[in-house]
Amino acid sequence: MLALIIKDIALMCAIGGSLALIMVLAQKWLNSYGEVNIRINGKRDLKVTGGNNLLVTLGDKQIFLPSACGGRGSCGACKCKVASGAGPVLPTEKPFLSAQELAGSVRLACQIKVKTDTEIEIPEEIFNIRRYNATIAEIIDYTYDIKGITFNLGEGETIDFKAGQYVQLETQPYGKIKQKVMRAYSISSTPKLNDRIQLIIRLVPEGICTTWVHQYLKVGDQVSFTGPYGDFYLRDTQADILYVAGGSGKAPIKSILEYLAEVGTNRKMTYFFGARTAKDLYLTEEMHDFENVFDQFEYVPVLSHATPEDNWTGKTGFVMPYFKDAIRDPKNTEAYLCGSPGMIAAVTKALKEYGLDEDKIYYDSFG
Amino acid sequence: MRIKSTTTVLDDNMKTTPTEDKIRARMAPGVLTLNGFLGDDKRSINEIIADDEYTLNQLGISAEELAERMEFFQSKSFDSFDGSITIEGVFDVETEVVRGYLPCPFMHSGIYRKSFTIVTNKATGKSVRYSALNIHLIKAHHFFEGKNSHFRLEPTELVNTLWNK
Repeated sequence: MLALIIKDIALMCAIGGSLALIMVLAQKWLNSYGEVNIRINGKRDLKVTGGNNLLVTLGDKQIFLPSACGGRGSCGACKCKVASGAGPVLPTEKPFLSAQELAGSVRLACQIKVKTDTEIEIPEEIFNIRRYNATIAEIIDYTYDIKGITFNLGEGETIDFKAGQYVQLETQPYGKIKQKVMRAYSISSTPKLNDRIQLIIRLVPEGICTTWVHQYLKVGDQVSFTGPYGDFYLRDTQADILYVAGGSGKAPIKSILEYLAEVGTNRKMTYFFGARTAKDLYLTEEMHDFENVFDQFEYVPVLSHATPEDNWTGKTGFVMPYFKDAIRDPKNTEAYLCGSPGMIAAVTKALKEYGLDEDKIYYDSFG
Repeated sequence: MRIKSTTTVLDDNMKTTPTEDKIRARMAPGVLTLNGFLGDDKRSINEIIADDEYTLNQLGISAEELAERMEFFQSKSFDSFDGSITIEGVFDVETEVVRGYLPCPFMHSGIYRKSFTIVTNKATGKSVRYSALNIHLIKAHHFFEGKNSHFRLEPTELVNTLWNK
């Protein structure tokens, strides 16, 4: 009787083990799509191993699409046109895609599994994006909640970017944070100093990355980032310029001004910086110093909530009413805006009312 | 008590479903936000929702009505960047937007702007602060977050501040 029971148990174990083995092998085979070709922009072929998502697959080949959530499908940044090879649009993609994008075969790279030969279209600038390792060289407290952090690239490394572009900083696990996240920050230093970058980062309540930067990063730490990204950069024209920024939106404008200070310009430029109170102002002297560098430049800080303690004698309220005096020819004026979506919307509306062409209003929205 | 949200139907008893386990994991510190959505609350998500639902019943208001009121203040103040506006003569409202978006921990599709709306009831002097995600969590899931969570909202405080009764 006992022998019979043992035999049955052994038989069941054997069957169970066999089934488990079959499942493991099946999973391996089913998830292995072998070598797959990704044709990029109709001219470049990339041989990859299928089975991973498009974002990761391209990243493994040093092609970095923007992504702020690390491929979790929550940021919608990794859009690219997939002409063929992708399955139907997933429910996880739809909230991020407009009707126009859906009609144009735009997809979220992090949600598409590479299973078969695939054709994609991505901007040529993407090929300039690289992953960099850097060392924290300097941390400056600009305000109570804004820091400037300088990252020195590795020995012999340089980064080629346009003033106004951004990078994606990758956090390391810290405290109770077990996973890495990536967040976008504008470069605030000049492209001429290409062996380093500076970022200006404001502490966001409950922000995983900004808390890491503000409370954990220290000089000498090693970090990684990818970049450069973005189409917010100085256009090479002779038009007058209005800059409008608030908070950490000062970063790309600082980069543009430092760049122009090095290459020289005769363009008429006015820079409006909106802040709530005097304690939210920073780099004020440095910005005013540009008035001595350029022939036609004015820095105009404007406080919306100046307090008696601020002893503020400058401009107050919204920035928009002050544009009038700064615009001499609206059809020959470009605007560069960086700040919250509300600010961008209000300023854009005002600039159009002053006669600026919408296609000459460039912005980097926090949204 | 059986609570039904738009994405999950939770058990009547204390057992957790795989879905709730997954949601709870997304609400943990460091997954979507620094300190997560549950604070030091040891109750199940079902219990948190049920207890706040009970409070709402006592107050005679639904989660949807409350969320719509929150949304009303946020949308009115959204375009007034770097400034507050007065609504209905008694509410000072301002909304600050920072870079980025947050997804819903209940795995709803969609993302919510990282924005913080502060409503001050000048009649009572009381203020409440909430995010765009808070509005969604209350409207769609009746979820006010766990006790001592950074963005926990007390239904009673919300009702007492957002209406001038």
